[in-house]
Amino acid sequence: MEPFLVRYRNLVVLLAILMAQIAGLAVQVRHNSTGMNALPNSSDPPDPSSVRLIRLWGNAIISPPERLIHGTKIGLGSLWTNYIDLRHVRDENHDLQKTVDRLRLEQAALLEDARQGQRLQAMLGFQEKYIYTTVAAQAYGSSGSDRSHVFYIDKGSREGLKPDMAVITADGIVGKVRDVFSHTAQVLAVNDATSGAGVILETTRIRGILRGDAVGRLEVVGVTADQRIQPGEKILTAGGDLIFPRGLPVGVVEKVVNDPERDGMIDIIVKPAAHLERLDEVLVITSTEPRFSPQEEQDVATSESQKDVVPTAIKDQVKASEIMAEKLPGLIDPNLPPDKQPLNDSSNPNPAAPPPQPLHPDEFSPGAASTPGSDTGTEPAPDAQTKKPVVPHAAEGNGSKPQPTQGSKPQTTPRRNP
Amino acid sequence: MSLLSADNRRDFEIHRYPLLVYAMVPLASLVLQAWLPRVVGRYDWFDLPLVVTVYFALGRRSPIQGTIMGAGMGLFEDALSHHPIGVNGVAKTIVGFLAASVGVRIEVENQFIRVLLNFSLSLLSSVIYFFTYRFLLGLPLDWSWLTELMRAVGNSLIAIVLFPLLDRLQMRE
Repeated sequence: MEPFLVRYRNLVVLLAILMAQIAGLAVQVRHNSTGMNALPNSSDPPDPSSVRLIRLWGNAIISPPERLIHGTKIGLGSLWTNYIDLRHVRDENHDLQKTVDRLRLEQAALLEDARQGQRLQAMLGFQEKYIYTTVAAQAYGSSGSDRSHVFYIDKGSREGLKPDMAVITADGIVGKVRDVFSHTAQVLAVNDATSGAGVILETTRIRGILRGDAVGRLEVVGVTADQRIQPGEKILTAGGDLIFPRGLPVGVVEKVVNDPERDGMIDIIVKPAAHLERLDEVLVITSTEPRFSPQEEQDVATSESQKDVVPTAIKDQVKASEIMAEKLPGLIDPNLPPDKQPLNDSSNPNPAAPPPQPLHPDEFSPGAASTPGSDTGTEPAPDAQTKKPVVPHAAEGNGSKPQPTQGSKPQTTPRRNP
Repeated sequence: MSLLSADNRRDFEIHRYPLLVYAMVPLASLVLQAWLPRVVGRYDWFDLPLVVTVYFALGRRSPIQGTIMGAGMGLFEDALSHHPIGVNGVAKTIVGFLAASVGVRIEVENQFIRVLLNFSLSLLSSVIYFFTYRFLLGLPLDWSWLTELMRAVGNSLIAIVLFPLLDRLQMRE
């Protein structure tokens, strides 16, 4: 046995290492309910602890020198930019100062509009998510492979980052946090083939799924062929994936190609809004809960209290109208026989004017045999109609004129109890 | 003058390096592989850990060392990606073993042969990666053979520059 191992020790070592790695791979890949194997990503359970440990070690060894190199590059760049390449800075500063003054005026006007919009949405009870808390981070490294479009940022769990948080720039969405370590985090870029985000075309309102292809291009898949989709149309996040808030810019339509795998479907090639290949500063959205400033919260509370006051006033008006209606003589008294009803009472010195007889009676005329309600069987119960006297329209209390329903005729005569 | 036996010839041609080189060059290749794509953008058609693995495996001419080095480099690359750990490991393990096995039998001082080997082993690494990912693991994978060809060309170009530089770090008798 020993000579065999010695003689073929190279092959034995090779097979041992290969088998160990294949066994490790088998542990990581799961067989899901659809019959396909799947990676442990956001929709599946996270990495096993042993795998996470290996990633942690790899990150711990590679990250420090990588950050050192990146920091050196940033330092040299800023040295050049801030101390050496300063030609025409004074003129630019002067122009920028003018721009700042103009923008301040515009900002003041826009701020008022934004506050008003937030107040209105809060009053209407919209559950729109707003981005209120972000953490700025520096992207410093990548996976090193174009088969895996992930990159690393210099913020981690100590700064409150968690998996599945959205990562954006001022230009558009970038990716989502995949794995979080203490001081670093791995971000899965939107142009990775395993990524996915719900998007919507701004003009045509067509929805699809954003992902990356084999060469790292962004594309929207799962879209039915539609002639309205034209290059240049903006694409926004749809907000249905519970990661990206709705309405963030994704990119623009670059071109439309037929889906090679599915007839009648198209793939939309997207020009990304963010510079995915040259990321430096990114923002991680750590909270999307609606949150207002103290002043805005006070305004919302005031609006809420006023909202309660309005129904109370309406109730008071309705109650007053009902009391008034009870005191006024009605046309129909349920306690009197038909010949003693106010309409037929000849002893009354001020009798109610009998309704004029229609020139051309139809089914809607008073006393007609059939009514629309009786046809459909939805005629109200007699008690409900006879218990209360007729209430004038003004007694409905909202101060607005009743709107005739479509197809009905204006009622010029009091309704007679059938 | 006595003729050298096969073992003596192999021992004579083994490249030896300072321990620091063994530690720092693979580490530097991993760090640069992770950092450079951020500089060159989408044109990251190179695999520095693979080039370094092939270089040391060819120079050391020990299949066991080549296997272990390839496995280590591949596992580190996998650890930095979001793919299962071991896909690159399997590919580079086999590449390291083959490079060292070939290095025993051919003249590795020839720069052209080394670059040609590098090109071939790069393509082989891509094939093994594809096979492992798509068929062994049964995972969906978008693939571009053109990109893999470009990567093999990029690795060869890097090898043309890097191999002579690393040769200068050899320990001379």
